[in-house]
Amino acid sequence: MSELVAIFLGMVLINNFILVRFLGLCPFFGVSKQLGSAISMGVAVTFVMAIASLATWLIRNYILIPLDIEYMHIVIFILVIATLVQIIELFIKKTNLGLYFSFGIYLPLITTNCAVLGITLINATQDYSFSSSIVAALGGGLGFTLVLAIMSGIREKLELANTPKSMKGLPIAFIIAALLGLAFVGFSGII
Amino acid sequence: MPIGIMAAIGLACGLIIYLVYIKVPQKVKGLEKTEEITSILPGMNCGACGYPGCFAYAQALSQDPDLITKTPCSQVLQDPDSLAKLEKALGCKLDAAAMCKKALVHCGGNSETVCDYSGVQTCKAAAQLLRGYRKCPYACLGLGDCVEICPQGAISIDPEKNIAIVDPEKCTGCGLCVTECPQDLIELVPAGTKVAFLCNYQPLKNIPGRERCDYGCTHCRKCFKACEFEAIEWNKETALPEFNQEKCTLCLKCVEVCPQNTLADFTKMGKEKEAELVAAK
Repeated sequence: MSELVAIFLGMVLINNFILVRFLGLCPFFGVSKQLGSAISMGVAVTFVMAIASLATWLIRNYILIPLDIEYMHIVIFILVIATLVQIIELFIKKTNLGLYFSFGIYLPLITTNCAVLGITLINATQDYSFSSSIVAALGGGLGFTLVLAIMSGIREKLELANTPKSMKGLPIAFIIAALLGLAFVGFSGII
Repeated sequence: MPIGIMAAIGLACGLIIYLVYIKVPQKVKGLEKTEEITSILPGMNCGACGYPGCFAYAQALSQDPDLITKTPCSQVLQDPDSLAKLEKALGCKLDAAAMCKKALVHCGGNSETVCDYSGVQTCKAAAQLLRGYRKCPYACLGLGDCVEICPQGAISIDPEKNIAIVDPEKCTGCGLCVTECPQDLIELVPAGTKVAFLCNYQPLKNIPGRERCDYGCTHCRKCFKACEFEAIEWNKETALPEFNQEKCTLCLKCVEVCPQNTLADFTKMGKEKEAELVAAK
């Protein structure tokens, strides 16, 4: 149990996907202009990460390892994740339209998000057990959502701030990202 | 062996998607109208309407048909067939000519080259060096950034004048070239525009060492004085004429009186060029 807590906290704060591992940087700047869309994106990523970890754990442990072709995990994981996201999208579109529209563009957008591929590869290289990989995925997704929410909150305020003309928009966002990254370095070593 | 397994997994993935597509019943109703509108829309997801893609636009339209008058799809307005279909689907009548917009390059060309530019061959790069290599700092550089971005292939570089020329017949008014042009020369004008002004030289914002080319507007105000219908207003900030298209009767007196030929009949711009091309062949 304590191991699961350690993995969860480690994924949320210490090895945060965006600020420490530098994965999923595209949505970090692309979808962090408004708090609402940032949280939708975070929830969608968390959901896909959890489903992808589940599926890839099964495939790795029941197909790749018995057949001794673990070295092919990257290409097979990409294939599985893309299929999974397509199936989920199709399924939601046919059964629950409200959910489909609230996911909107985000679900197909993260088909090949590197944070999603990242969590499955981390699970594989760390050789996590089934429950550990699910907890790691949920923690990673939560950390992703947290950083996206913090960033979008800051950027919403920055829109109103008196920034120099050459700094407006992305340049100041990059600087803020660097400062946030420094802050997250402070978490290293708490476990 | 690994290739076989890879292929098997890929095949299984494809089959599962196909099965989900076929077997899961469509429980949700209400998407029919959205899908009908989506099939009419051009589907190129240009984003000119302000929505992220044609599907999102169709969804908004199906909920609020009045939206078509506020943010019309510039592609549909060009095409009578799909416009008629969209009118039928939404149950309203549209005045396409009034809503349609066309891009117009405010430069007549032939501005002299004052230095030899051999840098990166894009307007953006050239414009960063003291606003380009032409005598006029507001001149079209003719390196074709707008040609590259135009999804319709409506813009070409005139080989004689070395400037970008928009073919109004192909232009759909998406506005991509307007944001692309580093010299801010391109403007979206209503499709019913009568007189086109082909210069953007602003003496009050002059840049030291650079001056108007021999072909640009001399700010003589002859067009302003010649107009009998008060259709031309003189903008004091830019010292350039502005045209009120509703009052203009297309008498073309201003075009005749202009000593520099910076005015042209916009209604003939695309056709003239085509006639020239036909004559050349």
